[in-house]
Amino acid sequence: MNKITIGVVGAGRIGTIHAGNLLAMPEVRLKSVADPYLDPDPWSARGIAPTLDPEDVFNDPEIDAILVCSPTPTHAEFTEIAAEAGKHVFCEKPIALDPDRIRRTLDVVDKAGVKLQVGFNRRFDPTFARVRQAVVDGEIGGVHLVKVVARDPSPPPPEYVAESGGMFLDMTIHDFDMVRFLSGSEVDEVQAFGAVLVDPAIGEAGDIDTAVVTMKLENGALAVIENSRKAVFGYDQRLEVFGSKGGVEAANEAPCQVTLRTAAGIRAENPLYFFLERYQRSFIIELEAFVASIREDREPPVGGRDGLMSVLVGLAAARSMAENRPVKVEAP
Amino acid sequence: MKQTTVGIIGAGRIGRMHAENLVRHVPEADVTAVASPHLDDAWAAELGIPSRSTDNGSVFSDPEIEAVVITAPSGLHSELICQAAAAGKHVFCEKPVGFEEEAIENAIAAARSAGVQVQVGFNRRFDPDVCALADAVHNGELGVLHGLRVINRDPASPPIDFVKRSGGLFFDFAIHDFDTIRYLSGSEIEEVYAAGAVLIDPAIGDAGDIDTAITSLRLANGALCSIDNSRQARYGYDQRFEAFGTKGNMMVDNTRPTIRESFLEDGVYTDLPPTNFVERYREAFIAELRAFVTCVQTGAPVSVTADDALAAVRIAKVAKRSMIENRPIKVASEYEVAGSSR
Repeated sequence: MNKITIGVVGAGRIGTIHAGNLLAMPEVRLKSVADPYLDPDPWSARGIAPTLDPEDVFNDPEIDAILVCSPTPTHAEFTEIAAEAGKHVFCEKPIALDPDRIRRTLDVVDKAGVKLQVGFNRRFDPTFARVRQAVVDGEIGGVHLVKVVARDPSPPPPEYVAESGGMFLDMTIHDFDMVRFLSGSEVDEVQAFGAVLVDPAIGEAGDIDTAVVTMKLENGALAVIENSRKAVFGYDQRLEVFGSKGGVEAANEAPCQVTLRTAAGIRAENPLYFFLERYQRSFIIELEAFVASIREDREPPVGGRDGLMSVLVGLAAARSMAENRPVKVEAP
Repeated sequence: MKQTTVGIIGAGRIGRMHAENLVRHVPEADVTAVASPHLDDAWAAELGIPSRSTDNGSVFSDPEIEAVVITAPSGLHSELICQAAAAGKHVFCEKPVGFEEEAIENAIAAARSAGVQVQVGFNRRFDPDVCALADAVHNGELGVLHGLRVINRDPASPPIDFVKRSGGLFFDFAIHDFDTIRYLSGSEIEEVYAAGAVLIDPAIGDAGDIDTAITSLRLANGALCSIDNSRQARYGYDQRFEAFGTKGNMMVDNTRPTIRESFLEDGVYTDLPPTNFVERYREAFIAELRAFVTCVQTGAPVSVTADDALAAVRIAKVAKRSMIENRPIKVASEYEVAGSSR
């Protein structure tokens, strides 16, 4: 089968990582990268056509699929343009912060008949995928509890916080998707406690930095997510699914598995520092899955509906916190 | 120092365990009497307890006895504390002291006016691992506390008869966790949201109880906490604790009978956790009685009181209401009057 020809729109941090990963995939030809602030030379040197204008990518008849890695407010529009041009789309999360905007985009994608994958990379992390497999294989029986701990190593700058849509839509959104992924169930209702304990400037920007979110799932199970914007020891990413036959749990991963024993104590390495380190493999595997779904004409493993649902759960959480009551998740 | 004479009221499973611990592991105590309606006389005789009766009155009326351990059925605890107080005896009482605040308040008042001490069997406070975690929080090793996580899962559902008279999961089971949160944080619980479900045994639901719960709590010091409970963890008694603060996170994992690890063809295996609370909290059960007897001997105040029992029952009540009404509830909104009168 021929190679899949791909263009990347948006060459910031995540776009650059995706482009590098695509270059290493034998079944992919990375043809062009578009970004208004692009430094063309490093790209040209790798045989990739650089452009400042995303239209050059959207209008290129040779391109089969587009990665939308531009700033969040452009995701929906770029996804639509790409879909209408007949390209398959991989879109970073979130598609948009407004569910109606997401719905419109999904309609456009649907009508265009192209594939859409959303960048919930953690589903492809081998550790978390193994946890899900234990659930699917029935190793822990019926799911009773889903527990996620997700703590960042350090908070984003307050300017970012103000633009982020709030912690639930910016950070917890990954955990909402993880609860849905691990349980295989939709979230029915959300109750969120939030607090500003890390940095008062985050509170002044109208956001929170610490949260405990309880969820009732449609399959009857209960779930809880614990978030903090700052864990001094590194990126704290743990989860557990507990069921009628037992439990399955994922611990933090360290850069190496070394234990140092001295009179001062027994010390292991801190967890991998942040998401680029911790989820490095997942970024590769998610693109392999996207490319495979195009080549084999299958539905991508994480699609537009997943992108919409996680935003709906996040909005329910934000509303729950604001109104201090449990809130039902809106229907997709 | 002379031994403290102790009488046991109620010799069911827990009563027998406490009596055996006192006799074997607390040399400062002399168990001279036991009363229980269905007393296993051979057991008591074997343990060397001289006065054995089916009548509690024989313990309360014995002027030699300085302290009693109350391990009768839960519904009788508060009334027995009042009787012990009237007889001038210090009390160690198993949890729960009562399901209703009024009963606990009566017991507190009776003990106070009689000048006797009441220690409540919140055994986790005496577990060496939980104590080490509490020390780390209290001495600032973890910085400012931002969160606590408590996992409390039983290995197997209790019999339905027990469920019916247990007061329900929040009063019977999660009550330990409410106390543990108060103990670890050194803070009161300000707001509670509880989600409960019947996922293990429909008969528990038919009995009006739940078997699975997640309770989230906001503390007066600002920290956010979570508790999860299940009545049936197939792999054993799951007891884990975590404290997260500005300087780090500390975890207490399950204990295991042995610490061996087996690397086999199909995986790496360790022992399962203990199968029940008697094994898991063996040291704590001894330490709490030793602490109690020491307080009786020295007159020092006991470290976990009937007031703590009252506080935990209030949280249980708020949690249950939160679950039923499906809303977060501020503890103060339920207890403004009680709170201000104290």
